[in-house]
Amino acid sequence: MLGLVDCNNFYVSCERSFNPALEGKPVVVLSNNDGCVIARSSEAKALGIKMGLPYFQLKELLSQHEIKIFSSNYTLYGDMSARVMATLGQFSEEVETYSIDEAFINLEAWGNAHSDLLIMAQNLRATVGRWTRIPVSIGVAPTKTLCKVANYFSKRSPENDGVLILDTPARITEALSDFPVAELWGIGSRYAAVLRRNDIRTAAQLRDAPDEWINRNLTVNGLRTAYELRGLPCKMLETEAAPKKAICTSPSFGRLVPDLKTVSEALVTHLSRAAEKLRKQGSAAGTVTVFLHTNRFKISPNGQPARQYYNSLSAQLPHPTASTTELTGYAQALLKTVFRFGYAYQKVGVILSNLVPIDHRQAAIFTDGPDERLVRLSATIDRLNHRYGRDKVRLAAAGYDNTWHHKQQWMSPAYTTRWRDILTVK
Amino acid sequence: MPPTETPFHHDFFLKAQVLTKHWIPLFHSFVQAGFPSPSENYIERVCDLNDLCVTNAEATYFVRVAGESMMGDRIEPGDVLVVDSSREDADGKIAIVWINGEYTVKRVNYEGDTVVLTPSNPHFTPLRVNSGDDFRIFGLVTFVIHKP
Repeated sequence: MLGLVDCNNFYVSCERSFNPALEGKPVVVLSNNDGCVIARSSEAKALGIKMGLPYFQLKELLSQHEIKIFSSNYTLYGDMSARVMATLGQFSEEVETYSIDEAFINLEAWGNAHSDLLIMAQNLRATVGRWTRIPVSIGVAPTKTLCKVANYFSKRSPENDGVLILDTPARITEALSDFPVAELWGIGSRYAAVLRRNDIRTAAQLRDAPDEWINRNLTVNGLRTAYELRGLPCKMLETEAAPKKAICTSPSFGRLVPDLKTVSEALVTHLSRAAEKLRKQGSAAGTVTVFLHTNRFKISPNGQPARQYYNSLSAQLPHPTASTTELTGYAQALLKTVFRFGYAYQKVGVILSNLVPIDHRQAAIFTDGPDERLVRLSATIDRLNHRYGRDKVRLAAAGYDNTWHHKQQWMSPAYTTRWRDILTVK
Repeated sequence: MPPTETPFHHDFFLKAQVLTKHWIPLFHSFVQAGFPSPSENYIERVCDLNDLCVTNAEATYFVRVAGESMMGDRIEPGDVLVVDSSREDADGKIAIVWINGEYTVKRVNYEGDTVVLTPSNPHFTPLRVNSGDDFRIFGLVTFVIHKP
């Protein structure tokens, strides 16, 4: 059997983990730029606050309700996620971290008896709860897709107490008959439309459809989903995280920015972050892409939509590199080419792609390889910044004007990763 | 008769470079010359304070002390406490607890059905947890990091 462990309202739960005063109150977490709602407590959901609600619309509700607002604190969420995942390691040798708040685990060692699995799952919930104060839901089933279904119901029906085990054909059929097919893992909006047209509405109906029909209409991917619903595992646990194929950073500006100097400083700051990630996963980038765009929603003072501009440009590098200094040179040249004077920019971003393992790089015939001194310099800067704090050592091109940085008005302390932010007790 | 000229040209030799340095931990015994070192089996990592203070990293948190209520247990303002949330047997132990909207460090004593939070500074009075109180145990204090 496999299990899917999912943290309930994860970002909100992380905030509550260190601040129990938030229990029972409507809590929302806003996106990177305090732009819109990306996480809600159940109390906030009950108030009708929708996912993605822009902050300016949320403001209207604030006068009527006592809603607690937080800027997203990814440092905290990342560390709490790592703690939850490590705790799961107590229950299973194989843990696949599927996202920041979800993990598949192999439960083979616990056997197939319903009572054993139930005790294990409840024990797991209690342990994660005590160690991290994060509430989790657990779906147990023979395949990943069925685990997703089990997890969906474990969360929604209070009588299940956060655990649902789908282990018998009767239990599986009962769950699938109630499950909307469009909500299934691996069924996107295109497949959902095909299924709707053919009057297939529940997961049970998809499971029972003829293989040949599924294959023709939903390709082999749809067939795989159907097999998984029948209890035949097609998606295996992936416990080794694959290195990312591209790295992108592009937080929005906190305000609209018109001048090349500020845009360029922001670009270099984003690039430094991306290059740091690149080196952390042991890769070098062969291609750099820079893009920038204006605010699509902005209205000019005359009431007309503001003039829009979007552009992006890529450069193939003579040799893959992970050096911030080298990448900055290319990125700045690209930006100078795409930048147009006379617009108010919302966002500049950089994508590092065409990634190769850092030890696979080779010098081309007509160009030198990456300058080894620059590679080592970047590694040293990473170590210094790791030790003394983010951006302590950086390129002067990143500038000193931080006013363009994204807004984080309601940031909670980084309770577990910064000494000056740890809890204080009387 | 040895050859007067070396058969090798200097171009055949490449300059060696040291690219990485490895730190070698201290050995636990003396090395005897001319004999395979028996200490090779005893190479160890340098002592790490974490090994001493942190038994369960996933459930360990650091907390700074701001009050004087636990001076009798040598827990003083400014100290950093190592707190383990995985320990369950709080009775009689020093714990970080949440009581009615704030965190505090106290010794937890179960007296029948009620909980008493006992300070170790005689100038502070014990606090009885009533049934309506918002009370939860954050974790047990396992170490005190104190700068003398």
